[in-house]
Amino acid sequence: MDDMTIDVAIMSGVEDGTLLEMALSANGSANDQGWTLSIGRREENDVCLRNDTYVSRYHALIHFRDGKWYLEDCNSKNGTFLEDQFEDARVSGTVPLESGQLFRVGRTWLRLQS
Amino acid sequence: MAKVTLGDILINARQESIRMRHYYLGVEHLFISLLEIQGGLTASLLESYGFTPRYIVDAIRRVAGKGNRQRLWAGMPNTPRADIVLGIANDLALDDGRSEITERDILTAILDEGAGIPVRVLRRLAIEPEGLIDRARSSSSQPITGMTPSYLRIEFGSGFDVSTEIPEDHLFVMRRMFQTSARIRIERRLLGGHSSAALYVVTPYGVEGGMQSPLVVKIDHADSILEEAARYEAHVRSTLPPLTARLEDKPTTVETSDLAGLRYTFVVDADGKSRDLREAAGSLSNLGEWIQKSIYPYFGKTWWNQRYPYRFPVWTEYDWLLPPLLVLDYLPEHDAPPDAVVVRDPVKIHQVRDLDYGAPVVIEDFTVIRVYRDLNSIQLTIGKGTEASRRAHKILVRGINLSEFAFFRGEIVERMVGRVYETRAALLMQALSALIPDFDGADDTIPGSEHLVRLPNPLRRYESLLEEFCNGSLSKIHGDMHLGNILVGANNTPFLIDFAQTRDGHTLFDWAMLELSLLNETVMPAMSGEWDSVRFLIGYLALINQGQEIPGTAPEIRRALMPIQAVRAVAERCLARPSAWGEYYIALAMAAMRAYGWETISLGARRLMFYVAALAFHELREKKPDDGAETRTTGGASGSFDAP
Repeated sequence: MDDMTIDVAIMSGVEDGTLLEMALSANGSANDQGWTLSIGRREENDVCLRNDTYVSRYHALIHFRDGKWYLEDCNSKNGTFLEDQFEDARVSGTVPLESGQLFRVGRTWLRLQS
Repeated sequence: MAKVTLGDILINARQESIRMRHYYLGVEHLFISLLEIQGGLTASLLESYGFTPRYIVDAIRRVAGKGNRQRLWAGMPNTPRADIVLGIANDLALDDGRSEITERDILTAILDEGAGIPVRVLRRLAIEPEGLIDRARSSSSQPITGMTPSYLRIEFGSGFDVSTEIPEDHLFVMRRMFQTSARIRIERRLLGGHSSAALYVVTPYGVEGGMQSPLVVKIDHADSILEEAARYEAHVRSTLPPLTARLEDKPTTVETSDLAGLRYTFVVDADGKSRDLREAAGSLSNLGEWIQKSIYPYFGKTWWNQRYPYRFPVWTEYDWLLPPLLVLDYLPEHDAPPDAVVVRDPVKIHQVRDLDYGAPVVIEDFTVIRVYRDLNSIQLTIGKGTEASRRAHKILVRGINLSEFAFFRGEIVERMVGRVYETRAALLMQALSALIPDFDGADDTIPGSEHLVRLPNPLRRYESLLEEFCNGSLSKIHGDMHLGNILVGANNTPFLIDFAQTRDGHTLFDWAMLELSLLNETVMPAMSGEWDSVRFLIGYLALINQGQEIPGTAPEIRRALMPIQAVRAVAERCLARPSAWGEYYIALAMAAMRAYGWETISLGARRLMFYVAALAFHELREKKPDDGAETRTTGGASGSFDAP
């Protein structure tokens, strides 16, 4: 694989507007299956949300497999949600994620931007 | 418009941030600060789209969520996005050769940046930021809504009852709503239900003088109206028969009050008249047949007949009909005594049932469903599960300083402390006392009719019923099916209006509601309101329950109860299992428990409602366990199993 990149944009909270640039060669873990980025409150996460106490230490994972993005909740206490017209839909297990689609980890909204 | 400086906007934005425990300055706080400018550009523009500033503020707060309980940083930093927005606003002012940043600059910058929470919320409400920018640019500094179309002539139809005065703020909503018309004629006021909403039949006239189709105008609190519009989009629009009352256009809001209005199309009968079923009931030659052969098949196709098996604990569908579980006086959190009772989901009713006045209570993870700004009160519920269960276990908290603490609809309150002011048991007993009972309301049974010497006392039964399971079915339901919401149009075509409660719910609830409404509106007026005549009538309802004919010796009662039998015929077709009537009595008992407390219906009708509940509890006791209602055998979700 070439060195691919994806931006994770923080869309709410004190860091609203921050763009975190992720590169396959520098962030996350990659193998034959694909590329995985971790989200959580602890420093060692690829996307570290230290300012949101509703985020678990290891909260969620973003996977890239076969050209598609997926979002996985790691049994977080306060949940991971996808934006929906009426009520945010809680993620259980792994669900497809579109680039540009908003999702919420704890109380922080995020989205992927290519 | 008063000149509002950037300094003022920032001060208000920071206050909003503190109210929300955010402690940073974000785009959402800037936008809310703009919305709070009285008669400001932002507020006026959004009102022209049909949204009150308060509604938008709450929608933004819901997305942003309340912040952490502890501060994690000092001071109040700007978010990176807020810095970008303020930078754009500054450039806009400089381009214009101004040294001061205005409201318009900040609004334009927020919309132009395009990715912040406010813009996302506006998009969800189908307001495109691009269009809003154009309107923000082109509008003069005069607030748009300032032009009150007072020239609109309002007339009254010949059938209008002039003794009922229309409140000035209702007229104001109608002036705004029909501002493109030359004049309107208010034909009549439809009698509302138990809610605060008002319904009018209005005929608008075009500028050329042409009469247009009459409309039903509904006026209520802006929150309810905007929610009804959203509900209509979600549940109703695609499921209505082709010819029926439809929602026209966006809701109309005004800046002078918390009210808003909606318009429904309405097709009048051949004489140009329009009637709700309350008035039409007398002139329909066979009301029962009309219910069975018109309303039911007309709406049934997409509503009640699209039903699925649905097994539910009774409280999830019906707890919301009852008065609040608790009314609390707010206490600052640090005053929580160590012995306070903690209430959280799953709620254990027996834990709070007998709490004394002044007992300390901590509620955890409840959802705010209503903010009463003028009363400094908020109403909370458990906010989880189905649409009805989300409204279950209401708790009213009084005495909150709402200017200091922000609460918004949909907010989850992790912890709140209060002292008991009222319990549900006390509220229900007070409502019974208001009926001046000729029996002891604390007894297990109450006097019955000729053949049923004693009936169960609903006040002693409802709690255990809430814990039982019901085998029923789930479908789209109207949710508030009383005679006032059923209109009769041309060729006696049925129309339903008022979709504020429309949802997926227990199918039989609509029919139980209609039965109660028929009893109130068509049966009770012919009777005296004395307890004895109520018990006399209950004897006949017991016959209907047993599937027996009303004897020919009572022809009047027989005729009066025919529509009730028609409702039962429909209900029978909607039963989840043939002749398992338990689920219907559950719906009837709980709906009647609510109705006996309604002050909008006559004393006699309320007494009848209490007895209808008693009779339904009697029937439930007679039924076998698997007959719709089931006695719990194992500790389920709520785990409050009382030993018999």
